[in-house]
Order: sequence, then structure tokens, then C-alpha cells
Amino acid sequence: MRRGRAFLRRRAGLALVALLLSRAAASEDAADWLQRAAAAARQQNYAGTLLYQHGARAETSRLTHMVDEKGEHEKLINLDGPAREVIRNNEQVRCYYPDAKIIRVEPRTYRNAFPSLLPQQVDTLAVYYFFRKGEMARIAGVETQAVLFEPKDGMRYGHKLWADLNSGLLLKAQLLNERNLPIEQFAFTDIQIGVKIDRDTVRPTFTPPPADWQMRESLPGDVVQQDTGWTVKELPPGFAKVVEGYRTLRGKVGPVAHLVYSDGLVAVSVFVEPMPQVPQPIGLSTQGGINVYSRQLDDHLVTVLGETPGTTVRQIAYSVAHR
Amino acid sequence: MSNFQALPDGDSSARPTADVTEVTAEEVSLLVDGELDADRVDRVCRGLREVAAVETWVCYHVIGDSLRGQCALRPGFAARFSAQLATEPTVLAPPRPRPAPAAVALAIAASVAAIGVVGWIALATMPVPLEAVATAQQAGVVRPADARRPVVNEYLLAHQEYSPTTAIQGVRPYLRAVTADDQDAPR
Repeated sequence: MRRGRAFLRRRAGLALVALLLSRAAASEDAADWLQRAAAAARQQNYAGTLLYQHGARAETSRLTHMVDEKGEHEKLINLDGPAREVIRNNEQVRCYYPDAKIIRVEPRTYRNAFPSLLPQQVDTLAVYYFFRKGEMARIAGVETQAVLFEPKDGMRYGHKLWADLNSGLLLKAQLLNERNLPIEQFAFTDIQIGVKIDRDTVRPTFTPPPADWQMRESLPGDVVQQDTGWTVKELPPGFAKVVEGYRTLRGKVGPVAHLVYSDGLVAVSVFVEPMPQVPQPIGLSTQGGINVYSRQLDDHLVTVLGETPGTTVRQIAYSVAHR
Repeated sequence: MSNFQALPDGDSSARPTADVTEVTAEEVSLLVDGELDADRVDRVCRGLREVAAVETWVCYHVIGDSLRGQCALRPGFAARFSAQLATEPTVLAPPRPRPAPAAVALAIAASVAAIGVVGWIALATMPVPLEAVATAQQAGVVRPADARRPVVNEYLLAHQEYSPTTAIQGVRPYLRAVTADDQDAPR
């Protein structure tokens, strides 16, 4: 009898070890997969037509990415509606709005490695998502392998991602709700990978910009890392703080507290600022796959947004408190 | 408010008539998505006095909720909703009593049978458009999220910077911010 129990205990112990090992392996698989996709996005030359869908809306744009001795250059032009473009040179992003005759310069607002993944987040990936391979599929004429990150709770969306078998480049990405229905999708409809791309094709269409255009340069947007005194009391499981500090944002009078929480795959931002004089929208709103929840907390405005279900940003918004 | 005073009392089956602003389902859809041209917003909001248009509007919000996985209708929703509405401060409970709009809205909501967080906002926003915004401006504090104002792009761009999805998707997520600017080009 006693021997039987010991046997069961041993079996349970072995099962636990096996579970932990498989979970660790799955974490590494998932993290490796993400790292490879991120590296391909950074290192490959590619040019293609991109379809962006959210809700019943669809927009197409042209994306070109090239690497030379000076680093990365990327150009994104929308093909529908008013012509607008996003130009990125390494970490600098500029948004061109010819219809408004405005250029917005976003200094140092771009990081495209995967450094925001803390070691414990690599582990949490497998705790909060099932990571598995999906089907092989042909996307934009390229053979891809699909992978799925399926959430284990209702605090996050599912992700289905298709990557080129050869380069690892992401060719299609879907954000899925709990019924597995896509909320938002990016997909190439045609693409050339690993081709030679002329430097001129990734320059702004308007070079130099006409004299009557406004250049709106924001102050260094970086978060000055420091304790803001704000905290989220009931953080959804799996989310850990990756950055906290104050930053200056265009249109805001004073510095805004910005706290970022990530579960390894997506991030949620918490912004806290003194209640502005002008009326502010409060409640839930949605922009593509991003949910935003704003509320007034005493004499502050709290805005929480991220690639998560509305319930998650709402819960976080309601548990923001001053320490 | 005046919108709803125009609604025939107790007649929830009212349909648009020729002399009333006609609103198409597509316009309602665009309004819900915050993508309606600025110059059409007022007209469409006026058109929402028609029950049929309001039904469409609530319906689109419910569909949106479902797509986002926020269909959170649990037993006792109506009771909790009323309780929450009663405790709601400032704008959402304007000075003058307005039982009729809430009752109509709630009845419509109930007939649609499912309504979540956004639906709740929908109800709060619905009788609001012009009057409550004015009230809010006087009060100088808050107003409900409405379809006219796209998500704050400064926040969106600042968030993008730290989102891991940026790493695997490159500048693609910036599309959200760029396409969001359709109505009020950059500030």
C-alpha cells in the first residue's frame, strides 16, 4: 500500500517534471519563432502590397524595406484614400500627410528587435498561450508555415501568424477573438523577398517637401525612466511591467506618466496625465485591434490601451491607483 | 434631448418618413466605426432619432462587441445597468430628467438581446450628441467616448514603440495610426 502511494507520488513528480520541461520547450520554441520573425523583418529586403483589414474595412498599402550600410530603410504608402506615407530610417519614423501638408517626425520611437521580452516573459508565453504549428499555406505566392498563439484565458486575444519558410518573414498576421474570428489582419497579397532594392524607392515621395508644408517635430519622446508613483493594483495574470516613466507628448501640456506592461506577445500602455481643461472622451473605444479605455481618476485622466480585449484594458484602467 | 422629444410617445414602431432625415445603414456603420465624414456626422446623429436607425446603430455596436469578444450579457444585466446608470456622475446624467430616452434605448437594447460594454457607451452616448457635449464643455470635464473623435494618436504611437508586435510586423501597425487620421488630420 505504502509502496503504491510512493509509486504514485513518483509518477506525479515525473509528470510534473515532464510538464515543466515541455512547457519550457514550448516557451523556447515560441520565443525562437518570434526572434526569427523579428530578425527577418529587420535583415531582409522586401517589397510588397499589404492588405490591412479590421471590422468590415479593408485598406491596401505598399510596403518596401531595404537594408544598406547605413541600416534599415522602410516606406509604407497607403493606396486607398488620401495618400499618406510612413518613412522609417533606422529608429526615426516620419509620417507624411500631403492632404494636410504636414510631416510628423517621431524621433526615436522605433525599436524592432525583440528586447522587450524579459526572460520571465519568455516563460510566461507558454503559461498563458498554447503555442502550436498550424497548416502550411501559400500566401502571396510564397510557401508559409502558420503558427498559433492560443490564449488560455479571456484576458488576451489569439494570434495566428504565417511566416515564409525560407526567410522567416511574417507574411500574414491575424488577431483572433475567443470565437477564433479575426478582428484584425495584415496580409501581403504579393511580395518579393531578398531582391535588390534601390535606395530611392524608400525615400519620401516629397523630397524635399514643398515649402508650405509644416514640419511637426516632437520633443524627444523617450520615456525618462523613473518611479511615477502610479501602479496597477490588479494586473491581469502574465503581464509584467517593462517600462515606467514620464514622457513628453505632442499636444500635452505637462509630462505624461507612461507605464507599459507586456505578456511577452502584446503590450498594454497606461497613460496618466492631469485632467485636461478640454472635455475628454471617456469609456471604451477601438482602433483596429487596439482597445482603449479612458476614465477620470480624481483630477487625473487615465488612458489604457493595448492589443487585448476591451475587458483587459478596462480592468487595468479601474485598478490604476496612486501608491 | 430635443431629438428624443420629437419621438412619438410610446410608438416604438416608428419608421422614417419622407420629411425626416434619412440615414442609411452604411452611414450608421461609418458612424459606429468613427469613420464618417465630419460634415455628415450632425445629420446622421439627427437621423438617429428614428427608432429604425437607432436599432441599426445598437445592432452594429453589438456586432462590434461580438467581433471583439466583448459580449458580456449576464443574467441581471438590466438591473445592474440601471443601478450603474443611477450612480453615474456628471455628463451621463444631465440636469434635466430624461426617462423617455433611457427607456426607449433600453427597450431597443433588450430587443437586440445582447449588449456589452460598448453598447453601454452607446446608450450613454445616444441621446447625447450635441447637448451633452455642450454640457460637458460647460462643466469642463468629461464626455463619453464618441464616434467623432478617433483614438488619441499620440498615445497610439507612443504605445507602438513598446509593443512586441512592432518587432515582428515592422511599421505595419503604424497603419492603425495613419489610417485613423482620416477626419482630423494630425494635430
